[in-house]
Order: sequence, then C-alpha cells, then structure tokens
Amino acid sequence: MNLAFYPGCSLEGMANDYARSIIAVFEKLDVGLVEIDDWTCCGATAAHSLSDAMSVVLPAKNLAAAEKMGLDIVSPCANCFNRLTYSRKMLSKNIYDVPWNVTGKSKVHDMTRFLAQPDMISQIKDNVLMPLKGLNLVSYYGCQMVRPPRITGFTDYENPRTMDHIAEALGANALDWSYKATCCGASIGLGRRDIQLTLSARLIQKARQTGAEAIIVSCPLCQANLDMVQTEKGSQKVPIFYFTELMRLAFEGKACSIKNFRMHLTDPGPLLRKKALID
Amino acid sequence: MEQVTEKKDTYTPKEISATRRIIGDRGEYFLRSVEGETMANISACYQCERCTNACPVSIYMNINPHQVIRYVQLGWREELLRSTTIWVCLSCEMCTTYCPNDVDVAKTVNHLRNMAFRSTVPPAEKVLAVFHETFVKELQRFGRVNEFWLVGSLNSHPDVLKEKIKTGALKEELFLGLELLKKGKLKLIPHRSKEMKKIRDICLKETRGTI
Ligand code: SF4
Ligand code: SF4
Repeated sequence: MNLAFYPGCSLEGMANDYARSIIAVFEKLDVGLVEIDDWTCCGATAAHSLSDAMSVVLPAKNLAAAEKMGLDIVSPCANCFNRLTYSRKMLSKNIYDVPWNVTGKSKVHDMTRFLAQPDMISQIKDNVLMPLKGLNLVSYYGCQMVRPPRITGFTDYENPRTMDHIAEALGANALDWSYKATCCGASIGLGRRDIQLTLSARLIQKARQTGAEAIIVSCPLCQANLDMVQTEKGSQKVPIFYFTELMRLAFEGKACSIKNFRMHLTDPGPLLRKKALID
Repeated sequence: MEQVTEKKDTYTPKEISATRRIIGDRGEYFLRSVEGETMANISACYQCERCTNACPVSIYMNINPHQVIRYVQLGWREELLRSTTIWVCLSCEMCTTYCPNDVDVAKTVNHLRNMAFRSTVPPAEKVLAVFHETFVKELQRFGRVNEFWLVGSLNSHPDVLKEKIKTGALKEELFLGLELLKKGKLKLIPHRSKEMKKIRDICLKETRGTI
C-alpha cells in the first residue's frame, strides 16, 4: 500500500528531524510513502487570515497532484492536515475559481490517526525491538488536528486518543490529562510573545503536574513552541518528542543514536539515559 | 448618526434611540451580508457566552467572542474592525466547537479579519497584521515558506523593527536564531515551485493586490 506524502514547509526547515524519523519509521512498516512532486505551501495560518477563499484554493495544487498519482494523502503536520481537509471539503461546493482540477477522490489522512488504526497498531507492535518501559508521557494534539470536528472528522475531539494508542503500543505509559487539545499559542509567537509564553508555560506546568516526563506531539509548530519556551530561565525541562521519534527509538533499540535527538533545544539525553533507553 | 460605543450604566433617551436606529437599518444589512458570506448561523446566538468561556485568549481581547456576534447583529462594523479581537484570535476553533447553537464564531472572527485587511481601518495589532501579510508574500516568492526568510523579511519591516527594538524582542530572537542555526534547524536556500505563476495569480486575485 502506498500513500502520497505531503510533508509541508516546516518539515524542510525547523522540523527536518521529524521528517527523518518519519522516513525511518515507514521503512519498517508495510506502507510506502511517495512524496508529492513539487508540493507547495498549504497557506497555514496566514492565508485564511487574509482571505478565506485563498486558503481554499492554494492547497488545491497538492490535492490535484495526489489525485494524479492515484493515492490518498497523508500529512504529518496538524495544520497542513486541517488546511488540506478544509480545502477538499470546500472545493466540493464548486464555487471557487481553481486552476487545478480536483475531484475529491484522494482522501486526506492525519498521520497519527492513520497509524492508530488497528492493523497499523499491530504492525507497530510487531516492530518494537525495545519497549519504552517506564517512560511516563502525555500526548498533546493541539488545535488544528482535532478542531473543528466537522472538518477534521475527529469524534473524540475532547479526548483524542490516537497518539496514546501508539505510545501504548510502544510500551510507554500514556497518562491522562486535560490539556490534550488546549491551544499552545504558537501561531501568535512572532507578534505577541507574551500571549504565547502564557499559554505554553501553562501546558508544560500541567504536564509536569500530571507526572509526565516527556510530551509527545505531532504538530511541528507545537513542538517548536513548547521546546523553545523552555529555554527561558527557571522553567523545568520536559523534552518534547515527535511521536515518530519515539517509534524510531523503539524500533531500532540501542542502535538508535542520541544524535537523532540533537536538534532538540530541551535535551532529551538525561531522561533517555535515566530510563536506560539509550547509551 | 450618533453612535453609542462606550458601556454605561444608564443611557439618555437620545442615545437609546441612536442605538435603535443602528439596529434598525445598518444592523440588518451587515448581519445579512456577513451571515451570507460565512454561513455562520449568526442569528441563532442567544448570548450564553460559552464561546467566550472556551476561548483561551479572551482576556487579551477588547471585544469578547460572544460580543463579536452581538456586534455583527447590531451592524457595528467599525468597532469590530478596530478591535484587538480579530488579530489576537488564534483560530483555535474552541468557540465554534462548543457553541450550542452551531454559530461558527471562529469563521466570523476570521471573516472580520479578512474585511479588516481590505478596509482602511488601521489594525489594532500592527505586528500581527504585518506577520500574516509577510507570510503570504513569502509564499508568493517560492511557493513554499521558509522560516529563515520569513522571520528575516518580517523583521526588516520598519514598523516591526521599531516595535521589536523597543520591547527588546529583537535581541532575544537573534540569540534564538543563532541557536537554531547551530542545531541545524534552519534551511537557508528554499525550494522554488514550478507553478509560481498560478500561485501568484491566486494570491493577487484574493488579496486584490493589497500586499
Ligand atoms: S456560544 Fe454560541 S450561542 Fe453562546 S454566546 Fe457564543 S455564539 Fe452565542
Ligand atoms: S478561534 Fe479565536 S475567538 Fe475562537 S476560541 Fe479560538 S482564539 Fe478565541
């Protein structure tokens, strides 16, 4: 089975470690990723702020390309997933002037939900070489992946569980907490840093109160934000992992080098060594 | 026409009739146009404030989300376009998700933000407005948005630069940028799409060439 892979702009820059871990993980799974040729930006948070119609038309290029490939799209970034899904839904109304031909036959999958399907979970379990025993973590989904539910299709938008299922399949303890889908304020960081810091500091504090030693995320913007605010003095460190990084660690065991985590600003080394997951 | 904008405990009869006039003619028209363009079900709001309670940033807004809906019903366009609300909103969709009456509050706020971009009303949060514009400008340059170029061209905007020097944010960002560069998190040379012409045409058409 193959999927059209839409990485999104972040995975080329700030989140290129996320991209590498995804590729390493999918090599082990029974699913091929084919990158969409010459994909372009989905418009993210800015295009719809300027014009809602622009945010519908811009992603159409990628939808059309995937249809030409005859594959469903998988998106690792929560924001891209949201924009592509919204675009696909609105284009079906046929009221926009679009230079590409989109029929809507390619579905858009969010990567966590795709991997949390029962058959993928059993594949993940088969591939685990080193269970992540004793690692207490919380999963954080953010806004764009789950809301609004009528676009994203999440029925459990108040308590999403997709990454929790994956973490449990890897042998880690996924803890319950109330802030799974509370906004981290990343998108406002370049303009109003005070708001961003207030929102994300609260998330980290709550995660710590829950007893989490790490947070797993799937959104590159959330990762960058939660990782970066911890460079502020005085805050206690909680490493922020992409969920595929932990999959890779469990799949490769001791062969997975600490170098794979070198791009984190909040160094996960001490935690992983304490749990004897890495040398 | 006299407008009543400040909140007071009591209003003079003249002020009350001024408010009524606004509800009467402008309100109907504005409500119908916004509702028609967003399909946001604005008339169904019964002011339960659930949207405002769900909103993570309502304390930073001068008009709360439930008030935005009421203001649209009243036709108070200028107050809305001048508000900090439309810029501070994170599009987190909490308000829409929890509204019991299916009012699409987030879409309404976003629609007002779209209107503000096309109006002559100066934005209450200058840096945030410039950020959105810069993002789309960068999108038109390569087809993909590169963080390094994005922050660079945002900070070279005169208004942003002034603001950031004043608050000291620029220094912080420079240190952070250096750290990111050392970690290999920045890609310096972006990929350029082959279909730039089509992408530029879309942006030009939708932004009416304003950026
Ligand atoms: S939650 Fe809905 S009905 Fe309640 S005040 Fe907000 S928009 Fe109105
Ligand atoms: S979408 Fe905007 S107005 Fe609605 S809850 Fe989020 S920040 Fe508040």
